Amino acid sequence: MYLVADISVEICAAKSCKLCTQYCPEANTILYSDEMGKDQGFKYGSAYVAVDRCKGCAQCVWVCDTMAKNNAIKMIMIDQLPKVALTENITYGEKSTTAMLASPVVG
Amino acid sequence: MSLDYVKFSNGFEKFMPKEYRDMVEHGPFGKKVSVSQVGSFKEILEEHPMCAGCAMTLFIRLAIVAFPNPEDTITVGTAGCGRLAISQAAIPFVYGNYGDQNGVASGLSRGLRLRFGDKPKDVVVMAGDGGTADIGFQQVLHSWFRKERFTTIMLDNEVYGNTGGQESGMTNRGAVLKMAPLGKKFEKMDMVQMAKVAGCAYVATVVPNNPRRVESVIKKAVLIAREVGSSYIQAYTSCNIEYAIPTDKVMEDAKEVENDRYQFTEYVSEEAKQYLTERYGYKEFLAKPAAPAAAIPGKV
Repeated sequence: MYLVADISVEICAAKSCKLCTQYCPEANTILYSDEMGKDQGFKYGSAYVAVDRCKGCAQCVWVCDTMAKNNAIKMIMIDQLPKVALTENITYGEKSTTAMLASPVVG
Repeated sequence: MSLDYVKFSNGFEKFMPKEYRDMVEHGPFGKKVSVSQVGSFKEILEEHPMCAGCAMTLFIRLAIVAFPNPEDTITVGTAGCGRLAISQAAIPFVYGNYGDQNGVASGLSRGLRLRFGDKPKDVVVMAGDGGTADIGFQQVLHSWFRKERFTTIMLDNEVYGNTGGQESGMTNRGAVLKMAPLGKKFEKMDMVQMAKVAGCAYVATVVPNNPRRVESVIKKAVLIAREVGSSYIQAYTSCNIEYAIPTDKVMEDAKEVENDRYQFTEYVSEEAKQYLTERYGYKEFLAKPAAPAAAIPGKV
């Protein structure tokens, strides 16, 4: 098993700084969904991680903790995450993306 | 080299991979996108084999987002880590022999001008410090002296990272590396000064821990290279493998280095300032209005 970044929607959707999306070295990996936070009654949308592209460098954790001071991102073993976003389940829209969350472990 | 080359041929759409369909339908081609929108649109850089947490990858990602017209851009590279990512973007990438990237880009840039006339086609060279300052040094400097109209970006990781850690001309004096165990005995080359002496119209040093600044610098350099002359960007993109920087500390290192010896600097020639102001509406180079004269006590 390996570590991937996991973003807390509760914390992210309250701040919505989007810094992690700009600092991830991997393209199309930390994405932003307008609906992910608002669906749960939060003010903003939330960032989320396409875990199949995450290389586990934890640069986003440093950015979220030190620059944004939000502490919303943790590195978690992928099999410890009940639901994750995978590239094949992500839909791009006009100004945002949506992700259908699914179990990271198949079979 | 146009919006047409990314579109689907009739009847083939359903056979294309999801990533490709996303890129055509929701990518930045033909639109104005900015770094602050990343995460909301499909980027044209795809998965690549660069190391986890690599600052060079981050810089390349930001640079590709910042290209003013990605559908009319060609990148040119040479041996080095950077090419592993640059070649994975959905824009044409030319890979020359080691060190000849500025020679290739000179011919390419001239040929595109002959073929397409005034329609801007941007050529951007992205190569490492070895390809730019050591092995490609002669061709780089000559292209600048000839005032070839394309952008040269040095991805300065201060080491030959792809071949095990040999010192380059851009390595700092005293740096101990795996293949330079006694420490480098000479100073880091001052390529910024050389670019100015050679007549580049735009010269900037930048560190990727400020994405919006990277975007601004890339846009200016590419636009200036369309008509005014050569532009040069030197970006600090640390090698976390050869310099043993933990991946979650790469941005901390970038910040420290920026504060220490890689401050943001920008040189814009007078001609380039005028061009950006008149052609693209840049306001930062306009003469600032004179400050109101200080009130003199007793005078009405």
